[in-house]
Amino acid sequence: MKKLTYFPGCSAHGTSEEFDSTLKLVLKTLDVELEDIPDWNCCGATSAHVMTENLALALPLRNLVLAEKLENTTMGIACASCYQRMKVTKVHMDENPELAKRINTTVVEEGTYQGKVDVKSMLQYAYEDIGLEIIKSKVTKPLTGLKVACYYGCLLTRPKNITQFDSPEYPVSMDQICEALGATATEFDYKTECCGASFSISNTEVVVNLSGQILAMAKESGAHAIVVACPLCQSNLDMRQPDIEKLQGIKYDIPVFYFTQLMALAFGYPIDQLKFPKHIVPVEGALANIGKVVPVPEKIKKPIKAVEAESEVK
Amino acid sequence: MARVGVFVCFCGANIADYVDVPQVVEEVKRIRDVKYAIEYKYMCSDPGQGMIRDAIVQYKLTSIVVAACSPRMHEKTFRKALSDAGMNPYLLEVANIREHSSWVHQKDKKAATEKAMDLCRMAVAKSIANEQLHEISVPVTKRALVIGGGIAGIQAALDIADARIPVVLVEKSPSIGGKMAQLDETFPTLDCSQCILTPKMVDVASHPYIELIPYAEVLELQGFVGNYKVKIKKKASYVNFKTCTGCGACWQKCPVKVPNEYNMGIDKRKAIYTPFPQAVPNKPVIDAEHCTMLLKGKCGICAKVCLPGAIDYKMEDEIIEREIGAVVVATGYDMWDPKPYEEYGVGRFKDIITSLEFERMVSANGPTNGVPVRPSDGKVPKNVVFIKCIGSRDEAKGIEYCSKICCMYTTKHTILLHHKVHDSHSYVFYMDIRAAGKGYEEFVKKAQVDTGATYLRGRVSKIYKKGDKLMVRGEDAQIGQVVEVEADLVVLATAVIAPKDNPDLARLLGISYDKYGYLSEAHPKLRPVETAKAGIFLAGCTQAPKDIPDTVSQASACAAKVCGLFSGDTMKKDPMVSTISNEYCSGCQNCVKVCPYGAIVTDEVPVGHGSKELRTVAKINEGVCQGCGSCVAICRSMAITLAGFTDPQIINEIVSI
Repeated sequence: MKKLTYFPGCSAHGTSEEFDSTLKLVLKTLDVELEDIPDWNCCGATSAHVMTENLALALPLRNLVLAEKLENTTMGIACASCYQRMKVTKVHMDENPELAKRINTTVVEEGTYQGKVDVKSMLQYAYEDIGLEIIKSKVTKPLTGLKVACYYGCLLTRPKNITQFDSPEYPVSMDQICEALGATATEFDYKTECCGASFSISNTEVVVNLSGQILAMAKESGAHAIVVACPLCQSNLDMRQPDIEKLQGIKYDIPVFYFTQLMALAFGYPIDQLKFPKHIVPVEGALANIGKVVPVPEKIKKPIKAVEAESEVK
Repeated sequence: MARVGVFVCFCGANIADYVDVPQVVEEVKRIRDVKYAIEYKYMCSDPGQGMIRDAIVQYKLTSIVVAACSPRMHEKTFRKALSDAGMNPYLLEVANIREHSSWVHQKDKKAATEKAMDLCRMAVAKSIANEQLHEISVPVTKRALVIGGGIAGIQAALDIADARIPVVLVEKSPSIGGKMAQLDETFPTLDCSQCILTPKMVDVASHPYIELIPYAEVLELQGFVGNYKVKIKKKASYVNFKTCTGCGACWQKCPVKVPNEYNMGIDKRKAIYTPFPQAVPNKPVIDAEHCTMLLKGKCGICAKVCLPGAIDYKMEDEIIEREIGAVVVATGYDMWDPKPYEEYGVGRFKDIITSLEFERMVSANGPTNGVPVRPSDGKVPKNVVFIKCIGSRDEAKGIEYCSKICCMYTTKHTILLHHKVHDSHSYVFYMDIRAAGKGYEEFVKKAQVDTGATYLRGRVSKIYKKGDKLMVRGEDAQIGQVVEVEADLVVLATAVIAPKDNPDLARLLGISYDKYGYLSEAHPKLRPVETAKAGIFLAGCTQAPKDIPDTVSQASACAAKVCGLFSGDTMKKDPMVSTISNEYCSGCQNCVKVCPYGAIVTDEVPVGHGSKELRTVAKINEGVCQGCGSCVAICRSMAITLAGFTDPQIINEIVSI
């Protein structure tokens, strides 16, 4: 059995409880044991780093230092925002010894940062450390027929020099995981556009506008559902969908799943364990596509007629 | 007893503003050996030089010190003034009180003046030990090597050959013509590229003074200016050019299809091919990477259909040598691969193409017979978005510099599109329109009016697919808003980059290159076609991005330089070279190792006078020696002397301050 240090973050205990609980189901199947960081604290998220650099780095640093007390070499983080803060702090600590020394004095009671623990998002962990082959081998109920638009948001793969994972503009890791589960990932050009993030509370209009475009493109791509790996993306796309539909006058009915929910479904867990009632947009319509025969895509038309070499011969 | 004359220059205000020149003159006059000292506003001017000439005669001076700018600037000027007055020119010393004092100590006039005095004292002391030196004559091989057969190489070769100097033109691909042969029409006059280029290509092939070696590479260059020896690898073409008539039966019947480089991979060529119908020489070669006969030993169709029996599957690479006196490097450029623009979906969307691909499509001899089409479905596009600065001026993804030609060729493309598809519309996203050149701004203005193209100042941030259209989202900075354009086809004006082989070639030739891979000129303004290595010249985009007029001008300039170099039977060379005393040389050969020019070899001399026993000593080829002094510093037995920088001269300098 593999062990993994786990940083759930605050949303796992609230808005994204279904992410947390399905992640645990999936990792059970994949034979990975989660170890919570003892006495973990808030990552600081968006509030800390707009105020002071010191606080923005010290909060995640405390978690990093505490994580080093466990024996595992990797920390998995469910929330994209927590992951971003933790990874940024790690990169700063590793690359700037002077800064590292200064910040470390604020968490001196917990210990000295040594840089032993790698920080990964759960998506990255599933893709890199577990791998598509193993995920595929655990599938008992393939999601054949379900077309999904994989939406990564802004934080999971960017900025590239910090995250060092997948493409910053057109990532494919989640698409490949969904394909491994038997689903079809659509060609979706809005996978890294902004959903409006925390403006959901302070300026809802922004989120309705931006998330509305993402929904429109997902529908355009032919997806039955959107798959995400970030609690804020999920809540914006799911919770704000009725507002968006009202504004645009279009009925979308596109449920927004965490990729772990689909993994758990494909691994054969019963539906009542997947927390679907927590969704605002009902999931039944989309899930009804599973098992249906996918129509063969229209044949790509013959590419441009090039003048063949023969005709150039005198 | 030495009689030194010192001439201190104001250099207008360059020196005089920061160095108290009259005070320097007064101080210099106190030196025992100085018999004459004077200041003047511009010592390099004719009256200034006249002062030197007159003083030499009047005061019977034995050596001259000029305290002025860097010797790199005017040493030659002042040496000439000395010889005009009947004095050996190497009795001159230059004290650099501009670059070494006034320019770098502008905040402290007192210190700058004191430093200028020290520099003058050193120069006076050194000049006392100066000896009369005489220029060295080296024989010249009057034959030039031109590397690269694009328009730069073609022009240089023709100009040199027209002066009845033999030229060896080496081209790596099967035909000369280069990138210009791929172009449809050329800005700003829209004359057909093929029409103006192909006659020149034919001239090269038929010129009695040009030896054209296609499908070949330079392997090695040895020797020194006027006396180089070059090794050239003629790649196996598997076709005997002497018997081949170029009938085309072979490439007609060849069953192997390969993406056609000439048409940017839009169509296919055969494994035995000529790059394009107007190729020079118009003889095919076999692409060994794809020919089934060469790979698996099966097929052999081309040999069967070849009536003159010109196909030879057993042909091997051949290495030939030529003796030459000068080299013109004209290896051209490459186009940048826009792959890093992931947000545009480059590689995912078929209907995003590069400018050179568009150029091939609108070319009359192109893969689509001159009609632009969408690669995805073959339809003729109506709305075409052109995006400039793809890779250029982009430190994050591409390179920092401006590629110079993209503004102009994109303007040309809007015109060509307008000509070929009358109901089309062009949108151009740009950062700036850089149209500096004769007739260029007028060309852009006229194109904007004639085509009605929409120019949007701003960067494109994203391209996504909607149905079969591409949605191009960018900023229109002039209205401060995000705009979206529905496009049938997107054309990326990709950056001009240095050929990837340039660094290897530079090392092989012993010349330098910059961080981008462009070959470096000797001086950015005053020696733009020479390299730092004597006898090697640069033409065209291998030095920096250029348009055709600039390229041709530089190529002709190279030709003039080569002709000048070959104007006499021998070449004059500075006498500042090292000599080795056999008596002191212990034969350790450390000097051989440190010499950066390969000027030192070993020799055998008798151990004693009349002895038959031999011992090894070092020997310097004064034609190759550049006078850097590395050997002098490394020599343990102090056997090496560098003329113009002898130990007494250096010691005098040190003792004087």
